[in-house]
Amino acid sequence: MKPSTLKDYKERMLRVLIHIQEHLDDEPDLEELARIACFSMYHFHRIFRGMLGESVREHIRRLKLERAASRLKHSNTPVTTIAFEAGYESHEAFTRAFKAMAGISPSEFRLQKGSLSQPVSPSEVHYQERAQLSDFIPVQMGGVSMEVKFENIMPMRVAFVRHVGPYDECGKAWDKLTTELGRRGLLGTDTKYIGLCYDDPDVTPAEKVRYDACVTVPEDFMPENDIGVQTIAGGEYVLVTHFGPYNRLGETYARLFGEWLPRSGRHLRSAPCLEVYLNDPEGTDPEDLVTDIYVPLESR
Amino acid sequence: MVKKEKIDLFRQLKSRDYLASGTPALVKTGEGRYLTVEGKGAPGGEDFNRKIGALYGVAYTIKMTRKYAGEQDYVVGKLEAQWWSDSKSEDFGNLPPEKWRWKLMIRTPGFVEQKELESAVSVLLEKKKDQAVKEIKLETIAEGQCVQMLHVGPYEEERKSVERMKAFAEEQGLKFSGLHHEIYISDPRRVPPKQLKTILRIPVSRL
Repeated sequence: MKPSTLKDYKERMLRVLIHIQEHLDDEPDLEELARIACFSMYHFHRIFRGMLGESVREHIRRLKLERAASRLKHSNTPVTTIAFEAGYESHEAFTRAFKAMAGISPSEFRLQKGSLSQPVSPSEVHYQERAQLSDFIPVQMGGVSMEVKFENIMPMRVAFVRHVGPYDECGKAWDKLTTELGRRGLLGTDTKYIGLCYDDPDVTPAEKVRYDACVTVPEDFMPENDIGVQTIAGGEYVLVTHFGPYNRLGETYARLFGEWLPRSGRHLRSAPCLEVYLNDPEGTDPEDLVTDIYVPLESR
Repeated sequence: MVKKEKIDLFRQLKSRDYLASGTPALVKTGEGRYLTVEGKGAPGGEDFNRKIGALYGVAYTIKMTRKYAGEQDYVVGKLEAQWWSDSKSEDFGNLPPEKWRWKLMIRTPGFVEQKELESAVSVLLEKKKDQAVKEIKLETIAEGQCVQMLHVGPYEEERKSVERMKAFAEEQGLKFSGLHHEIYISDPRRVPPKQLKTILRIPVSRL
């Protein structure tokens, strides 16, 4: 346990949480939030999710609903206006979202002068009517403590195809890359299959999410057409292994960034995380997939 | 463009050639085409690792060449291996691993042809890959009636399962009559030995 870094991570995240509450009606600007916390853009969204248990977008959406509840209770503002202020285009969409949170519809809530004593939230950070947020308790995932390893890796020369669009469609980039390299005899048992993720799919619009499908190649491999070449930075990484389907990688990231990182005494290097896929997803059941997640560390 | 469904032989043959549970059972296996390579020595040893590399290199080169050309796509099969020794009297399992002989195999759809193997090998040699690729063969293997079971646990404990398979065969009036064949379901690099899943297959004939 390194309480000093936990305190440091908490203070930095608290600045972000206060900023969000003071600018609830603005479009979230991830770059600005990351800057406020002095976290790299590559990692900010994962640290946020890890410590708060929800994404920036989910967090803001919930706070707006909590604010709407308070306005329903303490003002006579029409429900449609409150719905609009909470970011909903229609009364119906607002009612649905509100009901999911409070259990009753906005008009019932107003009639009953209901209270949101225990709105569901993973982090216990709630909309602050007047006072400024002064502290928060990061989400504790609990369970068995995380097994991590530290690895110094050499820079890796990789061929890559960039995918821009929803994550679950990155298979197209993999198809293009592995077909082209495979027919040239460049895929073998020593080949590493690496994914580089640059964006937070919860905040970045799906059609703009960037992902590089990468395969290690020898020195003489030259870029051509859609296949680029880049060098993945060497250096120290913390490594955690994810067992199971790719669509649950987020849970392992959340534990690493929320549970391990703030207590580790370490800081992250501003470079993307690597996902190293250890089996062939074509012939493997999703539960049997194994992925190593490498997160770049700043040297001590 | 209408895309044909990708072929996955392991899934398709799960209720026939790859049917296996925790207890021995008789299965009637079909004829299968395999990419194969033979060698000698301990699993994980130098020859073994070189040949695994060569076998996978060829398997992926053939598959991706077909895929690039827009031909029928398929999943590269799981690693399989037959094991034996030169000794007539001793079972290979009783000998030190240095004396083990093996044939590494990857099941491949029947439409893959010899000339595709040859061109994959020349591509790999051009890329200065290990000369072992020259030893890869395309073979059709028929094992017919076999006793089969799923072994869960370390490879070193297979003997117990084999004993059960033998007893089962004898109860049925059958005897082992072919090579010890293993199909590797789990990835030994990551799966703890206790949870490793391996299908054991041994051809049998009337006593």
